[in-house]
This record gives sequence, C-alpha cells and structure tokens, in this order.
Amino acid sequence: MEKLLAILNEIDDSIDYVNEKKLIDGQLLDSFGVITLVSELEDAFDISIEASEMIPANFNSAEAIWNMVQRLQEN
Amino acid sequence: MRKILKRGLLFLLILILLLAGCSAWAKKAVVSKRGSIKGRSRVFADIAAEKENTLDVLVMGDSESFTSISPMQLWRQHGIAAYDCGQSGQKIQETYYMLKTALKTQEPRLVLLEANLMFRNPGRLENLQSAISEAMLYHFPIFRYHNIWKTMFDSSATLPDEYKGFTIRNSVKSYDGDENYMKETSELKKIPEFVDIYLKKIIEICQGKDIPLMLYSAPSPVNYNTAKHNAIQDYADKHNLPYLDLNYKTKELKINWKEDSYDKGDHLNVFGAEKVTAYMGEYLAEKYDLPDHRGEAGYEEWDRLAEMYRQEFLAVKGK
Amino acid sequence: MAYHTLLYGFVFLPLCLIAYQMVPQRHRWKVLLAFSWLFFFIISRKLLIYLIGATVITHYTGVRLELLHAHEEKEKEEAAGRKKKEIRLKYQKRSRQVLSLGILMLLGVLIYLKYYNFFIHNIESIIDLSFLPFALHEKNLLLPVGISFYTLQAVGYMADVYWGKIRAEESLGRTALFLSFFPQIMEGPICRYTDTADTLYAGRALTWENLSEGYIRIFWGFFKKLIIADRLSVIVGEIFGNYMEYKGAVVAVGAVAYTVQLYMEFSGCMDMVIGSGQVFGIRLPENFRQPFCARSAAEFWRRWHISLGVWFKTYIFYPVSVSGIVKKWNSFGRKHAGKYLTRLVTSALALFPVWLCNGLWHGARWSYIFYGMYYFTLILAGMAVEPVRDRILALLHIHPDSFGWRTVQIAKTWLIIFTGELFFRADGLRAGLHMFRSIFDGFEIRQLWDGTLFGLGLERADFAVVAAGCIVVAVIGSLNERGLIPRIHSLRLSEPVKWCTFYALIFAVLIFAAYGDGYQAVDLIYAGF
Repeated sequence: MEKLLAILNEIDDSIDYVNEKKLIDGQLLDSFGVITLVSELEDAFDISIEASEMIPANFNSAEAIWNMVQRLQEN
Repeated sequence: MRKILKRGLLFLLILILLLAGCSAWAKKAVVSKRGSIKGRSRVFADIAAEKENTLDVLVMGDSESFTSISPMQLWRQHGIAAYDCGQSGQKIQETYYMLKTALKTQEPRLVLLEANLMFRNPGRLENLQSAISEAMLYHFPIFRYHNIWKTMFDSSATLPDEYKGFTIRNSVKSYDGDENYMKETSELKKIPEFVDIYLKKIIEICQGKDIPLMLYSAPSPVNYNTAKHNAIQDYADKHNLPYLDLNYKTKELKINWKEDSYDKGDHLNVFGAEKVTAYMGEYLAEKYDLPDHRGEAGYEEWDRLAEMYRQEFLAVKGK
Repeated sequence: MAYHTLLYGFVFLPLCLIAYQMVPQRHRWKVLLAFSWLFFFIISRKLLIYLIGATVITHYTGVRLELLHAHEEKEKEEAAGRKKKEIRLKYQKRSRQVLSLGILMLLGVLIYLKYYNFFIHNIESIIDLSFLPFALHEKNLLLPVGISFYTLQAVGYMADVYWGKIRAEESLGRTALFLSFFPQIMEGPICRYTDTADTLYAGRALTWENLSEGYIRIFWGFFKKLIIADRLSVIVGEIFGNYMEYKGAVVAVGAVAYTVQLYMEFSGCMDMVIGSGQVFGIRLPENFRQPFCARSAAEFWRRWHISLGVWFKTYIFYPVSVSGIVKKWNSFGRKHAGKYLTRLVTSALALFPVWLCNGLWHGARWSYIFYGMYYFTLILAGMAVEPVRDRILALLHIHPDSFGWRTVQIAKTWLIIFTGELFFRADGLRAGLHMFRSIFDGFEIRQLWDGTLFGLGLERADFAVVAAGCIVVAVIGSLNERGLIPRIHSLRLSEPVKWCTFYALIFAVLIFAAYGDGYQAVDLIYAGF
C-alpha cells in the first residue's frame, strides 16, 4: 500500500489519496494519468493489467487500486 | 393514470385557450397590417383582409392558376370581382383551408379550380403531415402568422400591393417544343387518394353553400398531357362538375408559345394570361350569373387598382 | 420523421405512449421494440434488414461468449491449481476469436457501406485499375439510419461481455431493443448496456412527473434547434456554400455561426432524445456538458459528444494503451528516454488511433481525417507544453485557477473549436484551407457592423432572436455548470411554476422558431454521420 501511495503521489501530489473515493468519477485522474499509473503498477508489482480491468470501479480510490493489484498478483 | 389524464387534459385545455387567444389577436393584426406577411401565407392573410362580401369568383390552384387568370382584366372587361388565391405548388390540403378561410368573409358565386394540383403527390407520410399541419394552421392562425413579430422590429418591411393575387410577369422564355402536345391516348393518370379525399370535402362545402365549382386547365405544355386531361374529365363527369381544358383551345386563344410563356411553357406570362383571361371572361359571363360591379359603391379600390394595372401593363407591353 | 417534426412529437410519440401504457408491464418493452422498428422502417424502409442482421450477430456473439465464460469457470473448478492458467489462456483465445468474428462482421458492413466509394475513389486516383479482370466502380450505396451509432453500441456490448463486465442478454428481443431504441437510433447517445438496460426493460408505468418533465426537455430541444440553429443554418449555408466570395471577418463569423449551429442542433437533438426517453421513465446518458466552458481541447472533448468520447476511450484508448507494443515502449522508454518523453509517446501511441477513428467515423472524407488529426496534434501539444506552462505560471505568480487565467484558457479553446469546426463543415479539405487562409486576407472588423452580415440572408430581427436565444441557453448552461439545476429541481417546483415554464417554452418556440414563410426545414446534421 505504501508503495502504491508513493506511485500515486508521483503522478499528482495534490490529491488526498487516502480519503478520495472518486478519482475517476470526479475527474481528478484523467485517462493519461490512468495509463501512466497502469504502466507504473505493472512494473512495481510485476502484474499484467488487461483492457478488461480498465473500468472506473478499479481506479476510483487507492483502496480499489490496491484490491485490483492484489487480485492480479494472485492469478 | 387518473392523475395523468386529469392534469394532461387541464394542461391541454389551457394551452388551447392560450392558442386561441393568440390566434384571434394574430388574425386581427394581420388584417390591420396588410402586406406584413410574406411567402405562401400571404395569400391567406390577404384573402382574409379583403372587404367582406365583395368577391364573386375565387380562383384556386397552384401556380398555373395565378399565372393564367388576371382579375384586373376580368374587372375591366366584365366588372367581375375575382381573386387569385392560388399558391406556388399548392397542396390540396392548402386549397381546402384556403377555401374555408375565404368563405368566412366572402360569399362567392363561383369557385374556379385549376386542376393541375390534382396530381401532386408528395407521398403518404408527407400528405399526413400536411393534413395535420394545415388543420393546425387553419384553426390556430398564430402558427401561420407567427412571423408577424418581425414587423414590430422593422415596420418598413411591408410588401407592395398585388392585383388581387395577380402580379405582372412580363419576361419571355419561349417554348420551342411540339405545339400539339395533347396527343391522342386513352390512358388515365392516377389521382392520388389524398387529393380525392380533400376534393370531396371541397365539393361538399360548395354544394352546402350552393356555390358552383368549376375545374379548368390553363395552357401549359410542360404540365399537361392527355392522360391528365382524361383523368380530370373522368373525375369531373363522376362528380357532375364542369371542366374546361384550355390546352385544347390554344389556337382559338391565339397563344403564341414563342412569346406567351416566361419559363419555356411551364407558366404563362402576363401576355398569355391576358389571352386566357379574355376567353375566360366571355365564357364565365355567359355561363354564370356574375354581376357587373363597375362603378358600384364599395368597389372604388378596384377601379384604382385596375388603372394601376393598365398603366403597368402598357408600360411592359411597350418594351 | 426526425425528432423535431410534428409527426414525431404529436403523433408517433403519443401513440407509442398510449400503446405502452395499455400493455401489461412485462410486455411493455415489446411495444418499445415494435415502435423502434417501425420508426426505423419509416425512415430507412427495407434497410431495416441491416439493423436486424446486426442485432442477430450481436446477440449470438454475446450468447456464445457467455457460454465460453461458463465453460471456463466449470473447467477451472474441476481442474487443479496449476492448470488454471492453461485453461484461462485456452478460453481467452477462443473468446477472442468469437469476439473478433462478431466485430469484423459488424464493422465490415459499416466500412463497406460508408467507405467503399471513398476507398475506390482514392485508389483510382493513385493507380490505374483497368488491368483488373473486373471493373471496380463507385456504387450508389444507401446508408441505413444510425448505422454509425448502433454499430459502435453493438461492438461495445460484445466487448463488455467478452471482458466479463456484463452478462450477455439472454433474449434476442431485448438485445434488439437495446440496439434500436427509437429516440437514440438517429443520433445517439451511444449507450453502454449498463447505461440503459435496466430502465429499458423495466416497463415502468407512465407518471405525470416523467411525462411533463420529458416533454419540457423535448421543447427545450426544439428551442435550441428551431429558434437558433435553423436560423444560423441560413448564413452558414450561404458562407460555406459560396466560400470563394467571402473573406475576412465574414468567414470568421461563418465558423463561429456553424459551431453555434452545430452545438444547438446536436445538443438540442439530445434534449429531444433524452426527453423522449424520460417520458417512458428511461434514463439515457447526457451527451453534452457545457462544452464551451472547457479550458483545453482535451476537456472540450470530455464535454462534447461525450458518449462517442467515452466509447473511444473505453474500446480504443485503454485497450491500445495496455497492448503489447505500448507496454514494451513503456519499459524501454523509462530506461532510456526519461519520464516526460515516455509519457508523451505513450499518450501519442494511444491517442493516434482514437483520433484517426474519430475523424473517419464522421465519414469518408479527407477533411474529417484532417479534423481528427487536428485534435490529435493539439491535445498532444497541450500535454507537451504542460510542464513548461506550469513553470511559467509559477514564475509569474498566476494561480492556475484564477479568473483571468481561466478566461484566457477558455478563449484559446474557443479559437481551437471554431477553427476545427471550420474545417469540419467546409466542403472538402481544399475549401477548408482556402477559407482558413481567407480569414487573414483583408480582415476588416468593420464588416461585423457595417451591414455586410445583413446581406447573408438573415434580417436584423433574426440576429436579435439568435442573440437572445443564445443568452437564454448560456444562462441555463451556467446554472447547470454550477450544479444548480438539480438543486432547483430538488426544491420540487410547484406545479404552477412548472406549467408556466412549459407554456413559456411552447410559445417561445411557436413564435420565434424558424418555420413557415421564408425558412426551410433543416435536417438533423448528425443523423448524416
């Protein structure tokens, strides 16, 4: 989780990632931010994120992102 | 569901009242501001603004009608008070409501219908749409005259007077095709169902008011052929209507296709119209009971217009 | 029978409402389907067969994909841990084949109908095709209404099933309704299954609230389309139709007028569409969100034709950005090219196909492709200068959200939009370039008030009405932007206020709409795409 927050802060450090629940729906993170995030996540956690994971629900909060990462690591 | 019906009906009722109020106002405004309505609604506005019970002949139809009969000439030669209430490409639905509009203030002794519009068929959907929209335009004239607010912006935009629905078109574009265009055939061109529906209504109205209805065809090589003639004749016979097809009388009328059309035989120019009107005047005066209003009180405007018309006509003829 | 016609608003829609209400709830969606197909048939006649064909393909592709998912789950349950991945890969391959086949068939029809002539024409201009044993001619192909819209919707549906985001619809009839629902068939919005399915099939009873508010929304669309757009269409047609005769400020006015016309038309049509859905209690997604408040070209496209943007983002941008090539570049770039460049190139790789498709989607014309590339370049340039711009702002102590800076950004975005729409509307790329150049050739601001504008076919009174109409739309827009409309709505407007609003709207349209004498009815622009 720490690692994830570090990555997120590097993309945009003006957002309160711990409490924000609407990163996508509230348009805090745009699509360019998302694809940067995806490539960072893939590198950092050694996972492969596919097109099917690209839904707002997976990126709306740090917690949601973390859940997705853990799920993909299990596979 | 009850609530929807109750509220919906109340809503519509208020809407209709508002529309009727606005329509009454628009109708008055149009009469008091002659020449403020442009385009195809102008004829409706102008006929509604004609002095009550002054017209004896209504000429209806598409552009073939108002390019072939000149009311001012009828007036000068016979004292017949006629009005051209045709419109370019008039649809039969428009003809019907034009007649109803005219009959609100006039008690004509003859309705003359140019028959070319009997073959106009824009398709069933368009016809249905026209049926609805023309009914709305008639019952709520605010729809027809809605652009009248513009004259409040720009009051100088009034249009010049016309000669009772007729304007002088003096350009010449000769028709060089076959002069015997009414070839022998027994074919009948089909009359569309909507035309039949509305013509029946028109016939009924005329019968109800005891106004004779007569069909005629203006000379036009572009628009007429024998198949159309046959269909109109057939229709006229079935409904006991007199029918006069001037396409068979072009020799008698001395129509000169080199000079008497302004668009290669589609429509007559003023010179052609004068010839047709001269013939029609004699014909109508003989067959129908049409009084001579010349010099009568209440028709002063007609004398004035007739003089203007004569001046303008002589001017274009001299060219 | 477009949405702004009498026949639709006062005959078709009411008949459908009555039929809908009379039928028991569980059959109501069938009424909607019947009317949808009738609507399609009235406009496109026999071409209904294309819609039915697309429906069958979409439906059975969905069913097949669902079946594969089920098999996969079952096999996985039975298999031991290590084999799971193998099973997953096996089914992934098969699903991909099914999906590809479905997409190919649908896109194939679209591409054939829409682009065949363009293709042949351009090939012929490059090489002589007469050596071929058969002759290739440009064909007179008729496009079924809305094919560009329902094809995207169908592809999106199949992809969603493939990804497991939704379960496939089991009933063919329901899939058919999802693709053909009559309010949205002509101009979208391009809906996702999750957007509409629930309310579409629910068959909710009519309510007074939905009916009255839906019809108010429809009339609001009439207001935009008939009062503003159809008037502007006169001068737009004049300037773009005789572009050789105009230059300077008049051409600039043409570009602005067309942009406003297009917005009023398209968003007005969406109001009619969304209102038409609402009368049945069906919620359709919004397609516009005050696009002229956008501060950048990228933001403009998140506010303009939203459903198309979302579609491209979901089904092109993201899939491309997680594809092999982009991922490879990413890991390579981060080692060798630095973060800034890596990010820029990644975005370019993912954006390029989006904007190429956006251009092509509008039609087979070079000027549309140019239009797509125009936005591609601008959006990428916007990203490229972002760090520099932020540094300059910081140096000058300008707050990025200050009013002044916001105004500058919005003005800049307007220029971008107007220029883009100039090329979009111009009769071909060459005409567009000519018009663009001619703006700067003898630009005289005087032309705006010396009467030149009144020679374009609109009277002073018409300009006054357009201006007044735009102000009304702008006021409503700014209320919306501030999120005040839902709040006003939540106050539960008393019935009389609502009625007065509706009457005012009806009479505004009735009196000021550009119909009747001196005006021509104007077809819906986006229905042609």
